[in-house]
Amino acid sequence: MGLLDQETTTRVKNMLADLPAAVKLVVFTDDRHCEYCTEIVQLVTEVAATTDLVSVEIFEIHRDADKARDLHIERAPALAIVGERDYGLRFYGIPSGYEFSTLLHGIHSAGHGHAHLDTQTKAYLDGLKVPVDYQVFVTPTCPYCPRAAVLAIEMAVHSDLVNANIVESAEFPDLANRFSVMGVPLTVINGKERVEGAAPAHMVVDAMRRAMA
Amino acid sequence: MLDFKITEDTSGQGATGGLYDVIIVGGGPAGLTTAIYASRDGMKTLVLERETTGGLAATTELIENYPGFPDGINGMDLMERFRVQAERFGTEVVEFEEVSSVKPVSPGLIEVQTDGGTAYQGKTVVIATGSRPKKLGIPGEDEYYGKGVSYCATCDGPFFKGKTVIIIGAGNSGLQEGLPVLEYAKQVTFIEFLPYSRAEQILQDRVRSHEKSAMLFNYRVTEIRGDSTVTGVVAVDRATNEEHLFPADGVFIYVGYTPYTRFVSDLVELNRWGYIESDAHMRTKVPGLYAIGDVRADNPAQLSVSVGDGTKAALDIREYIQNLK
Repeated sequence: MGLLDQETTTRVKNMLADLPAAVKLVVFTDDRHCEYCTEIVQLVTEVAATTDLVSVEIFEIHRDADKARDLHIERAPALAIVGERDYGLRFYGIPSGYEFSTLLHGIHSAGHGHAHLDTQTKAYLDGLKVPVDYQVFVTPTCPYCPRAAVLAIEMAVHSDLVNANIVESAEFPDLANRFSVMGVPLTVINGKERVEGAAPAHMVVDAMRRAMA
Repeated sequence: MLDFKITEDTSGQGATGGLYDVIIVGGGPAGLTTAIYASRDGMKTLVLERETTGGLAATTELIENYPGFPDGINGMDLMERFRVQAERFGTEVVEFEEVSSVKPVSPGLIEVQTDGGTAYQGKTVVIATGSRPKKLGIPGEDEYYGKGVSYCATCDGPFFKGKTVIIIGAGNSGLQEGLPVLEYAKQVTFIEFLPYSRAEQILQDRVRSHEKSAMLFNYRVTEIRGDSTVTGVVAVDRATNEEHLFPADGVFIYVGYTPYTRFVSDLVELNRWGYIESDAHMRTKVPGLYAIGDVRADNPAQLSVSVGDGTKAALDIREYIQNLK
């Protein structure tokens, strides 16, 4: 039985129908320990089956360590959404619940290759000189989380110096603990500056400024 | 069990633009109901939502008093159905689009401006922005937000597995949202300002009968304490004036709601609590501008009432637009 019901599959198909370029979903599983690896592979396969423009590649994080290194992936399950270029869109854990929307948004953005951001935010990103590490902690049951995750995706698509790492907190308790995540969405810039809640772009830009000060 | 929700339809890439018959600000149950009626009626309908559609109803784990669902229904699932139904009839939905102002331009033309710099034109505009959880305004509340203080048990509950949790507010929301937390927390204490709970009896019974729950009444919470994260809550027994420190790892705050009206507050009439006054047809004092759902004065913040509000507005809008011609 599929993970996506017929109605959802149809909607995914419609949403991805106008992709102007191919998108690759690169999945990293972990043979040693992984709660949702089977499901994440099945999920991306079902999504890819709705359009010829989305393809799937599957790797095992230890066996394919070189590939993981190339894509800067250190833990699994992980998903890299790669468009014409690699915009640095990464999803850690299974994009279920509300995060399924974030996945679709990521595919859409990677395919189109342009971001919907206000001019001030774009101007700030255009002036970046050094890479920005952008993490967003989420849970699948959080309706506010996609807003924070989508902002990360938009910024990453706009700027080659920004990546977007969306982390499903429950699947990565080590990461959630390291950053003392007790509420989502939580945005962490360069591992130190935190923005709690689904904050507007200018607040994340402020956090980037602080992180680089 | 895994589920997969599509809350944002990127296929439309937002709105088609042009002049809308109805622009609905807020994609909760009230707004989506107007959208279902209006678009089914052939009206060009746009919903602008600052987050994802569903409103507060979507954050409710189990809705048991909405007619037609004898076993209850998950709030997210129900709101998903509302949205699909609206889109089926042609409603356009734009998410993550926050409205910054609403400006009546001429009879039959209202302009809606967004934070992102987009302007939309509508013959009518419906304000269905609902309300946001109210803050207590006590020391530690902002400081520990995201570090143990939360306003969304559905979102953040999983972080408190095996932990001690305090829920401030033992009304309907507090108890409703506290019930799922009881399933995985070690202990959940509900602290209520009033000497009694105003929640539905069925919720009170469920919480009271749960072995991990405790209820404290007639306490005023004065401070949230912590080090790097929350460690406890200070509350004063209103009967004895004695101060107590209750240790906790997490604090969920459910002390009511404030209406979300910042973008229209100078345009419409607000009651003394900040809710928008509208008449029996949901009309505000500005022609073509409606207010429905939780943002409307004298609305008891119930899903079925919001649905009723949304219906009434849609019916009146049809008449209003016909009279414009």
